Amino acid sequence: MTFSLAIPSKGRLKEQSIEMFAQAGFTLELPGDARSYQGVLKGVPGIDEGIDVAFLSATEIARELVNGNLHAGITGEDLAREITADAESSLDFAVRLGFGKADVVIAVPKAWADVDTMADLDDVAAEFRSRHGRRLRIATKYWQLTQHFFAGHGIAVYRIVESLGATEAAPSAGQADVIVDITSTGSTLKANQLKILSDGVILKSEANLIVSRTTGFSDQAQEISRQLRLAMATLVGN
Amino acid sequence: MATRNPMTGPSDIAVRLKDYFTGESCTFPEIGLLQPADPFLDTAGEDLRRRIFITSENGGRNLCLRPEFTIPVCLKHLEEGNGSGRYAYCGTVFRQRKFDAQEFTQAGIEDFGASDFNNADIQSLTNAIGALQAAGENDLELVLGDQAIFVALLEALEIPGAWRKKLVRGFGDKEILGDSLEKISNGMNDSFTDLPAVIRERLDSGNRDAVIDWLADEMASANLPLSGGRTPQAIADRLFEKAELASVKLSKPKRDALEAFLAIDVDIAEAADTLNSFEQTHAISLSGAKQAMLARIEGLADHASALSSMRYCAGFGRRLDYYTGIVFELYRPGLDKPVAGGGRYDRLMTLLGSPAIVPAVGFSIWVDRLTKAGK
Repeated sequence: MTFSLAIPSKGRLKEQSIEMFAQAGFTLELPGDARSYQGVLKGVPGIDEGIDVAFLSATEIARELVNGNLHAGITGEDLAREITADAESSLDFAVRLGFGKADVVIAVPKAWADVDTMADLDDVAAEFRSRHGRRLRIATKYWQLTQHFFAGHGIAVYRIVESLGATEAAPSAGQADVIVDITSTGSTLKANQLKILSDGVILKSEANLIVSRTTGFSDQAQEISRQLRLAMATLVGN
Repeated sequence: MATRNPMTGPSDIAVRLKDYFTGESCTFPEIGLLQPADPFLDTAGEDLRRRIFITSENGGRNLCLRPEFTIPVCLKHLEEGNGSGRYAYCGTVFRQRKFDAQEFTQAGIEDFGASDFNNADIQSLTNAIGALQAAGENDLELVLGDQAIFVALLEALEIPGAWRKKLVRGFGDKEILGDSLEKISNGMNDSFTDLPAVIRERLDSGNRDAVIDWLADEMASANLPLSGGRTPQAIADRLFEKAELASVKLSKPKRDALEAFLAIDVDIAEAADTLNSFEQTHAISLSGAKQAMLARIEGLADHASALSSMRYCAGFGRRLDYYTGIVFELYRPGLDKPVAGGGRYDRLMTLLGSPAIVPAVGFSIWVDRLTKAGK
């Protein structure tokens, strides 16, 4: 295969990715069968037969880009940065696409009136063991992002509790003390009486066109990559 | 990985080290390659996860490849319920590292339960030097630090408790400590940005019970468990602590004293004079902590022949919350990584579940960095 490209297989990310290709002057031909996970992108100059497009889960796209099984793909920056400790070395975040915007944040119970910043949380974490007999617990699905961010604030003494859904409910369920989660409007956090620390935005994420740095590119693949990048960048105006 | 010289490879060194440890009347506990991961993650923190090899049993329990010996040796000691003990080890440990071998040899002694701290510290230091000499290292550089003197200084300067804890936590990391000093020198007035007026009033009027009531209501309305985690009382304590500190700043003379102390880096022959004149300049006394350090330095005199340089660095420490006293590192001239490191960690046993405090001091040798490891 000359070039392998993937876009998310469901939800808003899928719709907006398709929409984006259309606006950029490409046509994404979908097979008649609506359940199919393959399409063909037409309209890339010089590639008459089109480029195969795979519909994959957004997480899988991130992983396959890192593993070098895809040349390019559209997925959330949060997922891409979560999949590997050193995202920049395996992924080229080529174009920020302006949709799918959401922040990965650290949120604590609103009742923690003494905690506004990461420095406050550092104090609380440091004393948690001696005061409450265990380490501070953080519920999240973002292991990498959390560890990296906390290390950057010099905080080491905490434990991560893996949470794959309804993370915002972990504090009231007694599973964790604070959470690291993704939020676009903050309304779910508010409804669960959680507040975002003033310096607690870990990542301002959005959908990105990402090009793999771990796979080989033929001259033609290189050219396709350049065309896609140019078209998308022009469209979003950067 | 570098090939090892068959004549003087680590196995030969291992034999010499084991002979030395036996001669120092240490016992060798059995420590498995596979260890439960939780004790490591609970003590060193979640950040360690990226640096060890972790796997899970079918039952779900996390196991890891032995990343070091100190914690397993501590657990063994607790399990056997002895009051005191001197343990030695020599074996392979595993760490995720980008540029170095991920599988390497560590050897060392852990000394638990000795009530004479100074003597135990001196013995640990001299054992580390002795073991290195036994392994063929006769030219070593020693760097010595002591968190206890820093703690004594914070007390002497009457630094408020909350700041003291923060500064001790940063001890050993110039950048973090510098940031904390900067923050408390400028006053942490940026705090309380979001505090509701009702609680602000209760805080200002010093009505602790009313603050606790409000916090308990907040927690109840969010369905937060009132026990097992942060309680309204714990939050109130910190609110008052913060409110008290919001209006104070670390004075310039105190900051100057702290910075001057942290900059001390002298040959240990000059340590006594340097600390004495530091006390005079800043009109404070470091009392017992200073005496203890000077006693340890005297105890080192017998080993001076193996040491081409001995330095006391007042700011040298480890950023692990169970280290409490001296720390030391031994270097081979020209090698930027230590060949041995050690220190006192009186808080580790209680972190690992011991009901009583067990004084502990130990060191570890990076066997593959030794001259005769054949690199």
